[in-house]
This record gives sequence, C-alpha cells and structure tokens, in this order.
Amino acid sequence: MTGGHDLAARQAELVAALVAGAPIPAGFDQRLVGAARAALLRKRAGEVARHWPLLAAAFGPRWPATFARWAAGRPTQGGLRDGWDLARTLVGRDELPAAAVEELAVRDAGWRYDGTSAPRRRRLPALRRTPGAVVLQVAGRVRVLRPGGGG
Amino acid sequence: MTAQPYGVGIGWRPEIDGFVAELPGLRFVEVVAEGVPGTGPVPDGLAALIARGVTVVPHGVRLSLGGAEPVEPQRVGHLARVAELLRAPLVSEHIAYVRAGGMEAGHLLPLPRTRAAVDAVVANVARTRAELPVPIALEPIAALFDWPDDELTEAQFLTEILDRTDALLLLDIANVYANARNRGTDPLALLDALPLDRIAYVHVAGGDEHDGIYHDTHTHAVPEAVLALIRELCARQRPPALLLERDGDYPPADVLRAELDAIAAAADYPTVT
Repeated sequence: MTGGHDLAARQAELVAALVAGAPIPAGFDQRLVGAARAALLRKRAGEVARHWPLLAAAFGPRWPATFARWAAGRPTQGGLRDGWDLARTLVGRDELPAAAVEELAVRDAGWRYDGTSAPRRRRLPALRRTPGAVVLQVAGRVRVLRPGGGG
Repeated sequence: MTAQPYGVGIGWRPEIDGFVAELPGLRFVEVVAEGVPGTGPVPDGLAALIARGVTVVPHGVRLSLGGAEPVEPQRVGHLARVAELLRAPLVSEHIAYVRAGGMEAGHLLPLPRTRAAVDAVVANVARTRAELPVPIALEPIAALFDWPDDELTEAQFLTEILDRTDALLLLDIANVYANARNRGTDPLALLDALPLDRIAYVHVAGGDEHDGIYHDTHTHAVPEAVLALIRELCARQRPPALLLERDGDYPPADVLRAELDAIAAAADYPTVT
C-alpha cells in the first residue's frame, strides 16, 4: 500500500467481501472476516425487524437465519427497503405468513416503492387485498377492513 | 467537556426515552446524529432534557472519516446543523470507514494501521472541522479482524491521528476490552500508551461471546471485566464523563439503573439514578 488510491481500492475490496459475496482479499484472516460477515447479517436482521416487526415475528427464532439466507451477498439498501424486498420475494413464493402479508399490504397501500429507489408516499388513494382483509389508504390514512370479522 | 466533570451519562434512544427522562442526576446524554432531523424539530424527549440543563452530544456513525474518499459535504453539514440545534459543546465520530466503491457496509469497519490511512483520516477530520461549530472527539472502534497491511501499533496509529488533527479522544473502554481479548493483547498496555489526557468522554457497553470471538453488541450486560478496566483507567486518569451505550434488547429499568450505578461506582462518580 503506497497511497490513497491503493487504500480506496483495498477498502472497496473488503466491503465487497463483507456484503456482496466477493472473495475475502488475500492476507486477511478468513475465519475472522467470515465472523464479521455473519455479525453484519445479524445486525441487519435486527434493523429489518425494527422496520418490519410482523415479518420478523412471523419467523420467530428462525428470523435471523431466514433473513441471512436471503441477504448474504446482497448489499443493504437500509432496513426499510431490505425488509420490503424480502417480503415481496416471499409473498411471490407464497411463503409469507398472514400477519406479514398484511404488514406488506399496509406499506404498499401507503407508499409507492419500485424496488430500486427510495419509497415515496402515495398522493392518491390505494386499495390492497390480502386473503383475510382489505387495506384502504385515503389521504395518507390506512385502514384495514376485515369483511365478516372484527376490527 | 473538561471544565466540570459530567459524571455518568447514557446514550439516548427513542425506546428508552421515558427511562432516561426519569434519571434525576443525569447531566449528559449522547444521541445518534443521523437520527436527528437537520431541519429540526429536536425530538421531544431530547428537548425536555436540554430544557433541564442536560448536555446532549451528537454522535455520528456514518461520516466514514477513515474512507479513502473525501467525506460527503451534506453529511458534514447535517452533523454541524444538529450540533447547533442541540447546542452541543462537541460532537463525536469514529476512526473507521462505513462505505467504499459505492457500497454501504452497514457497520463501522477497521482501517489498516498505515501512514496512508492516517493521512486519509487527518484529511477528512480537517474537512469536517472546517464546517463544525464545536470540537470533535474521535472514537477508536472494536475490530473483529485486522488488516495484513498494518505498519503501526494501535497506540501509535491513534496518537498520530490525534496529534495531527488536534481532536479529542472518545475512548470506548468496552472496545479496548474486546480488541485485547480477541487479539490476545494486554488492555492495560494500551491504556498506558494512549494520551489519556485527551479523553473527552468514555463509552461503556456490554457484549457477548460467539464462536470464541467477543462481540461488542451493545445489547448485553456490561461484563465485570469492563468495569475493572474502568477502575484501571481511572487509576491512571479519571475521564470527565462515562456513557453507557445500550442499543437493543433493553432490560427492565432496575437492571439498567444498576448498570449505571456500577459504572458510577467504578469511576467514583455520584450515581445519577
């Protein structure tokens, strides 16, 4: 290492190894960098759980591992978007538990999120249906209607 | 933070706002700078603390002072605005980097202890200080691994950065413990080699062992060994303030109060609970 340019390249290699699945650069302790990679995924799982409490709760003790399987090699876009992307992936495979389906519907009714840039609040009313409820957003207020049920 | 000791403080988080509000002897807290809107308003809980004379220090976590790339001006501007909003006497950030090559690490990453890395930190601290209304304290991090490029010892690396930036030191005593334990080095030797008179305040936190590696989690209890290191530090030079960082898995209020009391006892400061 001789200067700022080398440092920039070396730092980028290390970040890519930690969050994007790139190989661990030569000379680093593979076990310790691997432990750091796992610790980063645990931290991200906690951050996503704060934004998506029903998604995390639906998997209970399996949440950190479930999140880590999906997130390994996928750099973070922040806890909000990471959880959004994972929830959409799971709902597409029919693997999302009911409470989390509703959490996703509430978010989708209130916000426009294209999966590639920051979510933006919807200005127009929106309606989303889940197997157990209808989610209605008008003027920024979201209501969850359960036909035939309470609440 | 040198005129009069602040004693024991705690990291303010929205989740423990009520707990912090009810600490009668509290004189200082820290808030994660990126969590405070630069345009205001100051979160209610913090505003109430400021109104009763509690000092609030903004603690940045995403400037990436150790990045080879220059700090982003809008991040520096935000930190400066938050310092003004909170009427803070100083701000703090880390000797670490958090992004590179357009990718976010999502955590504080260690730097190689090289001359080039010292130069990068010094340049970024200078860019930051040019915009800040108050001094900055720099915090060495807990690193799970080291770079193969290291040329300097940790004490040499940190002392050179502090000398060349004229910054204060935010010493995380739990990081000193974690690094020494994971590297198999002597934490007291590091304390003996650091410029302890430059300490603005000290961080204290808990952690946990995972596959033989100690992780500075901020979500577990403060180990007795960390309290023992506080006693060792105070025997050399008592810092003007010590602050408990707790970032999740919050225990019942009496457990958190007991941790604050244990820190106060170890540093021989009045209890704040």
